[in-house]
Amino acid sequence: MVRLTVRRLLYSIPILIGVSVICFLLMNVLPGNAAAGLINDQMTEKEKYAAEQSMGLHDPLPVRYWSWLTKILSGDMGFSQQRHRDVAELLGQAWVNTFILAIVSAVVGVVAGMLLGYYAGTRRGRWADKVVSIFSLAGLSIPSFFLGIVLLSIFAGEMRLFPAGGAEFGVGIGPAIRSLVLPVATGSLVTAGITARVMRASMVDVMAADFIETLRAKGLSEWEVRKHAVRNAVAPVLTTSGVQLGYLLGGAVVVETIFRWPGMGTLTYNAIASRDLPVIQGSMLIVAFAFVLINLIVDIVQAAIDPRVRGTLL
Amino acid sequence: MSEIVVRRLPAGFGSSASAADRKAGQRLARKFLAVDDGARPQAFWKETGKRFLENKVGVGATLFILLLAGAALIAPWIAPHDPLTGVATDRLQAPFSSGAHILGTDEQGRDLLSRIMYGGRLTLIAAFVPTIAATVIGTAIGITATMMGGWVQTVLMRGMDMLYAFPAVLLAIAVSASLGPSLANALIATSIVSVPPVARVAESATRRVVTKEYVEAAKLSGASPVKVATSQIIPNVLNDIVVYASGLVGVSMLIAASLSFLGLGALPPAPEWGFMLNSMRNSISIAMFNVMLPGFMIFLTSVCFNLASDALREATDSRL
Repeated sequence: MVRLTVRRLLYSIPILIGVSVICFLLMNVLPGNAAAGLINDQMTEKEKYAAEQSMGLHDPLPVRYWSWLTKILSGDMGFSQQRHRDVAELLGQAWVNTFILAIVSAVVGVVAGMLLGYYAGTRRGRWADKVVSIFSLAGLSIPSFFLGIVLLSIFAGEMRLFPAGGAEFGVGIGPAIRSLVLPVATGSLVTAGITARVMRASMVDVMAADFIETLRAKGLSEWEVRKHAVRNAVAPVLTTSGVQLGYLLGGAVVVETIFRWPGMGTLTYNAIASRDLPVIQGSMLIVAFAFVLINLIVDIVQAAIDPRVRGTLL
Repeated sequence: MSEIVVRRLPAGFGSSASAADRKAGQRLARKFLAVDDGARPQAFWKETGKRFLENKVGVGATLFILLLAGAALIAPWIAPHDPLTGVATDRLQAPFSSGAHILGTDEQGRDLLSRIMYGGRLTLIAAFVPTIAATVIGTAIGITATMMGGWVQTVLMRGMDMLYAFPAVLLAIAVSASLGPSLANALIATSIVSVPPVARVAESATRRVVTKEYVEAAKLSGASPVKVATSQIIPNVLNDIVVYASGLVGVSMLIAASLSFLGLGALPPAPEWGFMLNSMRNSISIAMFNVMLPGFMIFLTSVCFNLASDALREATDSRL
């Protein structure tokens, strides 16, 4: 177990380096020039060259990557020309909000999805199963921006039950929860749909396994049998839940934009409009690092609770 | 009385030998195939197609997609209005309120039915082009990695892991943000995002096949690696990949719709459903139906893609 954890940790290092290389290349090699914010049409060729020179744009790529990486590691994520602020400073306030939203959505969605999937999987073919299947399909298919707009117009527009946007932290627990409800509902409905699908399929498989019959033959109550079944069925759900959290972080751009949530997603959306690449790069880097970390934790937790997985990991 | 020998030989019999050998091989093949006993090789895709047609939900979903594709294809002839120009005084008309605009108008007075029809083109392109591109590239990567092994496999598959380390939507957003907003760039971004999962599926399917006797036999008969891949491996991994790719169609449609919702897809005034929803969403309190329509179309199309993909998966699985 310790060996596996160490190996899995070591394996994450090249992945993280690769992630940083991809982030760097995306923002530096592709046509969208990193100096675009400094350059304008009134400049002479010489001034443009000087501006690019000042940003080190004429150095060879590996040199630029190295200087970029050392800066990132020392906490300097670049400067947003459009907003005249340090990217690290901008993101520092935003990433906490984004993670709160993503983690709450993931927990609500995964728990709801597991309950629904369990319920459907133990009642295969009956109407409850069908309702859950339709719900899963809807969750899998609905674009989160559409769902968000629908929820917003019904519950904030028509009924005025919840605020129409923004995060209300620091003014007591009530407003904070109220401001979380709609964005969390948007994120977690999709998550719940996908989780329910995986959990249902896994439950159906396990309930058909021979050991379930053995347990019944030994005279265990149905409740005890189900407890054994759930323990065995939960492994694939755990894998997807890590992926789900990553998708919620990635999809934050869409959900946060709709709910004007003050997180990295909204920052990224505004940065896209003004082609403010350092901000996009910064939030991309944070989310990708978090995603690698989440997958690492999921793998280790899974190996800890399910000995069968240990052989398949690395 | 000579006994009639009925023996079936593969169509490409002797294909890897010299021209003279090939001729001799074909002559032998003709000789042994003197009598056709009517036996046919089991046609996997034919059987799958038959089972697929028995699935009513899957067929219904496919019909809806075909209907949408048909309407998108002949939109210039059947669309009642120009999708790009509107009359400002006809802004946000309610649906069914006038004979001129059956589904109402958008925030610039453009006919929504026409825009939905033309937008179907962009949606279907965004669903299929990235999926096909990613399937071809991902399959090539997966098969190459497994067949070559060694450092090639390590480099290719670890490279895929690195792309996999980004949540799909975020990577697509970053790629198309740095390329600049346009339909082509959104398609490139969506394709890049879909390559790693296809490569993984192709890799594991190839690993299962590559040690089989027929692959060994093909190698021993002197077939080049490319020939082995195209004649032995691809036909045997294709069904796994196609079933997986069918699920990607809906996903890539949603990713592309998200990109255009964020303003990174087709440029306005193109009638992209995702962007239509975004540009109308401030009017939701005045004209709820009009605003919902493009979003609902994305949802419905995506549901149909997923249903069709599920039906295809079931149709192939029952053979396993």
